[in-house]
Amino acid sequence: METIRIEEKILGKNDALAATNRQRFEAAGVFAVTLVGSPGGGKTRLLERAVPRLSESLHVGVVEGDIETARDGQRIAALGVPVTQVVTNGTCHLNAGMIGKALEGLPLEELDLLVIENVGNLVCPASYSLGEHLRVVVLSTTEGEDKPLKYPAMFRQADALVLNKIDLLPYVPIDVAELEKFARQVRPGLPIFRTSAQTNEGIEQWTEWLNERRQSWRLGNWTS
Amino acid sequence: MHEASIVHSLLQQVAEHVPANTDVMSVRVRVGRLTGISPDALVFYFEALRGESIGDQCALLVAQPPLRARCEACRREQEFTDWEWECAICKSGPLRYLNGSEVELEAIEVEDKWRLFGSKKRSSAKTTH
Repeated sequence: METIRIEEKILGKNDALAATNRQRFEAAGVFAVTLVGSPGGGKTRLLERAVPRLSESLHVGVVEGDIETARDGQRIAALGVPVTQVVTNGTCHLNAGMIGKALEGLPLEELDLLVIENVGNLVCPASYSLGEHLRVVVLSTTEGEDKPLKYPAMFRQADALVLNKIDLLPYVPIDVAELEKFARQVRPGLPIFRTSAQTNEGIEQWTEWLNERRQSWRLGNWTS
Repeated sequence: MHEASIVHSLLQQVAEHVPANTDVMSVRVRVGRLTGISPDALVFYFEALRGESIGDQCALLVAQPPLRARCEACRREQEFTDWEWECAICKSGPLRYLNGSEVELEAIEVEDKWRLFGSKKRSSAKTTH
């Protein structure tokens, strides 16, 4: 038996495509943010609240990722912003190649901010970089405080946590202080926002933070 | 089920390193414990998908190296077999992991009878074979 030493990354091709996406974002002056989180956590609803607010000062575009249907893309298109729907036909995550193709359908040069909504899933998207500048995990109050410890790969690479559906706090048994502790054990210093896409509470703080992050990237104070 | 996509990438990568129709005996990969990738699921999908490209006899060997972390408070380095959240020594500091994110193809093992072409890509290997 002969052994051939290889020592290569298995997802090296995805990483290379992600780097190409990043170059396109940089060249077009577009700050890219990915939303990840479980199905039903309120990612699209959050976007329906946040995009109009962000659009007051920025040209916003959206990529919607779903296993099936163009429903989310239609909801975002109704806001009057450019959107590309990616239907993965069963694949449980977006990859960098899918984003590269999706960018063809967007007026990238005209945008300031691109939001990518990944397939609802707290596991698989963690392995696939898309070339984004920021990753935001959206978790809802009904999912329980232990999720950062149960899905650490996802929380470990988060740049912020949005705890959504806080309007339900009186009705659901979640220990928010414990959740925040767990999230910061996995990702020390993680910024955490509490929102309700139903009542609009906390949306402004979150969009303000996105604006600030984009601003510091634009001014060159960017390390990741 | 992202393991299916990862195995798909892995099989393509292996095929690039050996000529077509080579019987590959085993494929060795390294998967860090912080990746959320399940070795059992990798083996399951590998056995389901290997037949089309590298043959039904090929084994997938998955290594999970121990985790190394440094405490942000007491600065001491330590080793773990599984994900931990606080320093085992001072019990206070958050841990900064020094490894654990690896998803790598280490090596491929093939029969002796086939002369090796190093890491030449499949197309160039074909012409000399």
